[in-house]
Amino acid sequence: MRLMLSWGLPAVVVAGCVGYLIYTASGGSAEYYVTVSDLRAHTPTGDVRVAGVVQGDVQKSDGGLHVTFTEKDGTASMPVDYTGSLPDIFQPGITVVVEGRLGTDGVFHARTLLAKCPSRFSTQPYTQ
Amino acid sequence: MLGYLGAGALLAGLVMGGFSSFLSFWAGWRESETLVRVGRRAFYAAAAMTVIAGVILEVALLTHDFSLAYVAEHTDLSTPVALVAAGFYGGQEGSLLYWTLILAILGSASLVASARLGTRLAAYAAGILAAIFAFFLFVLAVVASPFDLLSITPPDGLGLNPVLRDGGMLIHPPVVLAGFASFAIPFSFACAALLAGRADSAWIMHTRRFALLAWSLQSMGLLLGMWWAYHVLGWGGYWGWDPVENVALMPWLATTAYLHSSQVQEQRGRLRAWNFGLVITAFLLVVFGTFIVRSGVVPSVHTFAVSAIGPWFLGFLAVCMVFSAALLAFRSGTIAVAKEAAAPISREGAFVLQNLLLIGVVAVVMWGTVLPLVSGLAGAQRVVGAPYYERAAAPLFAVFLALLAVGPLLPWRQASGPTMRALRWPAAAAVVALVVMLVVGERSIAPLVAIPLAAGAAATVLSIFARAIRKPQVFVRRRRRYGAYLAHLGLVVAVVGIATSHFWQQEKDVTLAPGQQVTVAGYTLTYIGSDQRQLADHTEFGAAMRFGDQILEPSRATYAGLGGQALTHVAITTTPVADVYVVLAGTNGDGSASFRVFVNPLVSWIWAGGAIIILGVVLGNVGQKIPVPELARRRQPVTLPA
Repeated sequence: MRLMLSWGLPAVVVAGCVGYLIYTASGGSAEYYVTVSDLRAHTPTGDVRVAGVVQGDVQKSDGGLHVTFTEKDGTASMPVDYTGSLPDIFQPGITVVVEGRLGTDGVFHARTLLAKCPSRFSTQPYTQ
Repeated sequence: MLGYLGAGALLAGLVMGGFSSFLSFWAGWRESETLVRVGRRAFYAAAAMTVIAGVILEVALLTHDFSLAYVAEHTDLSTPVALVAAGFYGGQEGSLLYWTLILAILGSASLVASARLGTRLAAYAAGILAAIFAFFLFVLAVVASPFDLLSITPPDGLGLNPVLRDGGMLIHPPVVLAGFASFAIPFSFACAALLAGRADSAWIMHTRRFALLAWSLQSMGLLLGMWWAYHVLGWGGYWGWDPVENVALMPWLATTAYLHSSQVQEQRGRLRAWNFGLVITAFLLVVFGTFIVRSGVVPSVHTFAVSAIGPWFLGFLAVCMVFSAALLAFRSGTIAVAKEAAAPISREGAFVLQNLLLIGVVAVVMWGTVLPLVSGLAGAQRVVGAPYYERAAAPLFAVFLALLAVGPLLPWRQASGPTMRALRWPAAAAVVALVVMLVVGERSIAPLVAIPLAAGAAATVLSIFARAIRKPQVFVRRRRRYGAYLAHLGLVVAVVGIATSHFWQQEKDVTLAPGQQVTVAGYTLTYIGSDQRQLADHTEFGAAMRFGDQILEPSRATYAGLGGQALTHVAITTTPVADVYVVLAGTNGDGSASFRVFVNPLVSWIWAGGAIIILGVVLGNVGQKIPVPELARRRQPVTLPA
């Protein structure tokens, strides 16, 4: 019993605090991870992350700090507008994850842009 | 030719490893001294086969044997020799072989002196270790072999991804992978002790240096990864809460907790079940991390190519979880020991709270990492970013820092008057830091909590050193303890660097014509001009900036051979109080260039703090004699009288 009190009580208190912290922090900052088609189907309020493939219409301006391009997945596509430095591997054909929101003008205004390269640790494997 | 030899060595290793595992378990069951020895030798033989396979792969890489798919996919003729050699661990299959190699070497080292632990404990430890070893050899020989051959030998390989063509590639991955591999040793001995019904601390003493080695390698691996990301990726930061970073952080947190709680067991005989649990948790987190990184189930910016090994690792994780949970449940009655209870305010109490906080951070990080998986099952996939981790973990880290200031001054069992008086130094340092910050006009809560607590923690360590300096011989006699306090000081230095660069980083995007200036946080940079250079495998476009009497040259490299992939070279200069960090974003037709300039205060303190931590561990432990554990004389554990 004494054992339960001396170890159990602080453990329960800390676990409760951790649970509370996780709950409040993830409630406030979790974002939906959607595809372009999902986004087209129903526009959520708030920020989302959207994955898709960069198309060939990349337009850079302001010395490469501002970029517009079309992002496309299987069926749907959307224009993206992003200001900031680009990942090194950014080029048409790679998959990117943009984070931001779809404006009323139909353009996705991205706050961040990540290159999601599924084979980052290797180049393209040989297709035999 | 080399391919067949390598595959043969792996297969022979697998057979020997499986044999070693089977024989060792049988030896433990029969308590046969002779069979244990044979089992151990079979382990050494399997280790030798792994070393041979490793040498063969390295030879194949260095001789550009492109008949091997692995060599062709990860190197080419233009890659510098050092990076060709590093291609060994640059891809999925090779990195698994590297991991297995470290497991083979360290595992053998841990078995050499294991006989003194008693027949059954030594036998089961060898059996579990050999089973893990055999699993990796199985994956290498059957699922993801680095010795697969191409049907047609290409004239040249594909080359290493340019992001990895960097000095960091030579040190960060091998250290991280070695850290991961070495976690298997404490795990094996802990499970063996449970299996043999040994609740004493012999396994802790025997594996202490391996746990320390695992922890040190993991610490260095994390720091080198941060250093590399900071110098190469060009986003001005060093930690992005990416799943791949998270899965390396979690076992480190669990091992940090274990290194502290094992003290309680060594000194006071308490927390036995908890220590078993922590070591097991740390290893399971490593296996979990390997599964995450190598299966592509969680969206991450850096993962290995999707491969067939994911399900195998998931199965391995499940087996390890069920095995260790069953062991713990089965033995819980015999390992629980009740001695006189310690007061909550005591060194024991501080260790327990520190452990709970660290495991709390593990829970926070784990939830953030698996949320996409969990939410994906329930409907729309959701992800969390850095704000989640900062909000959830910051309060835990704050209490942790406070504990770093208070804990080392508390005595075992119960705190009394004189020790409470010792707390005046950290308290005074914290108050002074707080007042200074308020006077200079800082008003946000987070830095006002973090910096004074760090000051208090530093004052604690310094006051301990100041007291010891009157009798300098204690530094030698109790060097393990003072080494640990030096590591505490290193942690405080690193924490100040992390907090400062996090709270007060400044950045500015700017486009400049030659001769124009930009000022960020009081640092002025003048753009001089740009030029273009053609190098062996890439074109480099560089811009020169004058900073004081230095020239900074951020540049962009373009690799024509790799579909025009670009790579940023950041220019960083370190002043005593801040790093000036310049990224070349691009250039315009009119000769102007665009830059992103960061001023990152005290980032160099993070690297210095890391070096002090490692120094503390080395000074405190290297060359220390291993205490001979109480031999199997008393095999029955101390049990609780009903």
